[in-house]
Amino acid sequence: MTATENPATQQASNTYRPSTLQRFLPFVIAAVVPFILGATTNDLNFWWKAAITVAILALVARLAWRWTPRGELTHREDMRLWRTPSDRSWAALTMFGLLVLPFILASDFTPPMDFPWATWFAVVNLVLIFAMGAAAFNLLVGYSGQISLAHVAFLALGSIVGGIVGVQWSGGNMWLALPAAALAGAVVGAISGLPALRLKHLYLLLATFGFHFVMMLVWREYLQEYFGFVGIRFKGVNSPRIASWLHWLPGIDPDENGEFIITGQFRWYWVLMPITVLSILFMVNVIRTREGRAFAAVRDRDVSASLLGINVARSKLMAFALSSAVVAMSGVLASFYIGSRGEDSFNVQTVLNYAIIIVVGGFSSIQGAIFGSAFFWFLPEWFKWAREELWFVRDIDFLSDYPSEIDLAIKGFLVVIILMFKPDGLAGLWRDFKNWLGRSLARRKP
Amino acid sequence: MSDPILSFDDLTVQFGGVRACDSISGSVERGSLFALIGPNGAGKTTLVNAVSGVYKPLPGAQVQFHPGGKPSKDLLSYRPYQIARLGVARTFQNLGLFMGENVLTNLLLGRYIHEHTRLIEGGLFTRRAVKRELAARAAIERVVDLLDLGAFRREPVGDLPYGVQKRVEFGRVLAMEPELLMLDEPMAGMSVDEKQDMIRYIYSAQDELDMTVFLIEHDMGVVMSIADHVMVLDFGQKIAEGTPAEMQRDERVIAAYLGTEVEV
Repeated sequence: MTATENPATQQASNTYRPSTLQRFLPFVIAAVVPFILGATTNDLNFWWKAAITVAILALVARLAWRWTPRGELTHREDMRLWRTPSDRSWAALTMFGLLVLPFILASDFTPPMDFPWATWFAVVNLVLIFAMGAAAFNLLVGYSGQISLAHVAFLALGSIVGGIVGVQWSGGNMWLALPAAALAGAVVGAISGLPALRLKHLYLLLATFGFHFVMMLVWREYLQEYFGFVGIRFKGVNSPRIASWLHWLPGIDPDENGEFIITGQFRWYWVLMPITVLSILFMVNVIRTREGRAFAAVRDRDVSASLLGINVARSKLMAFALSSAVVAMSGVLASFYIGSRGEDSFNVQTVLNYAIIIVVGGFSSIQGAIFGSAFFWFLPEWFKWAREELWFVRDIDFLSDYPSEIDLAIKGFLVVIILMFKPDGLAGLWRDFKNWLGRSLARRKP
Repeated sequence: MSDPILSFDDLTVQFGGVRACDSISGSVERGSLFALIGPNGAGKTTLVNAVSGVYKPLPGAQVQFHPGGKPSKDLLSYRPYQIARLGVARTFQNLGLFMGENVLTNLLLGRYIHEHTRLIEGGLFTRRAVKRELAARAAIERVVDLLDLGAFRREPVGDLPYGVQKRVEFGRVLAMEPELLMLDEPMAGMSVDEKQDMIRYIYSAQDELDMTVFLIEHDMGVVMSIADHVMVLDFGQKIAEGTPAEMQRDERVIAAYLGTEVEV
């Protein structure tokens, strides 16, 4: 059967109706924003709350207006990141959630049954850092098909550059360390990608894993001499400061030394969230434009890609450079956020953790990296809560005796399950859920 | 008056002790439809692979590409991706598509050599990157219209029927806008209807888009009806060359295809 005989597919690929969720979203948000702001923020005065509410509503209304498709999609509309009404609804919800989440977490609201609300803020910030690194790692391993285990070496490189540029040279200037780390990551990343020009699959994996140990050697030989035996300290006088042009913001007061230090989960969230979101958007944009398409082409068939005019070697090295640059930046963020980095911050376990994150989240999906890192950090929290609060888990001594081992066992078990039954991971499950939701909403319509 | 777009001379490709192509010479006229035929294992695909840079022929071979209005190029001194950028595009016998990607992505990859968006521009999604992306999509649209692929834009190529996949691959090389289009059995495994469609598409590529077509084909009937010039290979040797009508009468060609009588 040829294409033209099937009008159903022809229609579906070109026109859209706004979804139910999309139609009601502005109303939902309008109802929820003042409530949450009112309930959660004690240290903001009324006018700030009103201003934030109006700003969020204006943004949502503008996007809803701009993104409502009218008739056939033009190419410009078709190129959008969020093409379908359902995509747009979810994107708006995510954006809204990211803006509101810190206020909820910072409030003194306590959920029932001692659910670990208070510790969540630190976990959310770690998820942001890991999501950025894992997304970059997934771009290289999943999307570009260059199996690499050198990513933790680039986290270490980020810490090294953060230590030299951010701490030694500028005494805690993270904003200088970030671009420096990106640059260093891109250059060293391209060098670490050189084996990819000759090797594939398992052999490439071994070669890049070797690079990890080279970086650890650099750390041991060079850095312990300059930064001391324990590692680099990013805390105290080396903490990053808030830029002076932002001091007018609410809740930004100097501490007893008159310094505006980025400290506390709430402030860190507003540093980490935009950087993570922007760098992930950058990678998504790369994927949907020329060079990103070339990455996929090289992954699938390199001979065929080269006959389309793609310089395969250059494309591979660019994938390595891009991925390593972002990983190095997340290394800088992690260093300044966590406060100190030593040799055992970059052990083999960390390498495996990233592999777990992208396998559980979903191979070759940027979204999967976000889901994966959320899963990776929330699972221990929930498991801990279950051990303490749920009677049927609390009584099993075995679980309480070996908490971290069982954490790992659960993760390992899930990796096996997911590889066997759901190769596209949590991102795939999420896609299925969205499709199911769309179908059931559509069915209810008269 | 001969105006070749491609000429190859003394082209030998050897795998171990097997000579897949044995000192083959010939030339393709600009704007013509050149067909390369021969039984299985005759070395047809090997010849195309050698011209497009995938295989290296033995020293002594000459492959000259004469782009219109530019000095001629010795293709043997270029890598495959450079040859593609010079304006020689080819398809694969068993499909060189990226099966997990959708039709749109596959076709847009054909525009790779004409777009010039850099990685950072693409990542920042600058105004210029968007403009170039739109230009690439407009170019794709012509191919989509020509090949009736509109219904499949968002479908992963791996999910499509074989005949459509063949069309997508053909569309991808058309999007490259090459001067010389090398088609490696574009009609293999197709039904009669699909074959006729494909012939129509090849004609429009040749006439409307000003491409020279170098066609490898198995089906003698098709070749005889559309080709301007035919070259016949057998066991890596060129056994005959000429117009389709001449080839149909040539005894060596008949022998290669049907076999010769053997005295028992």
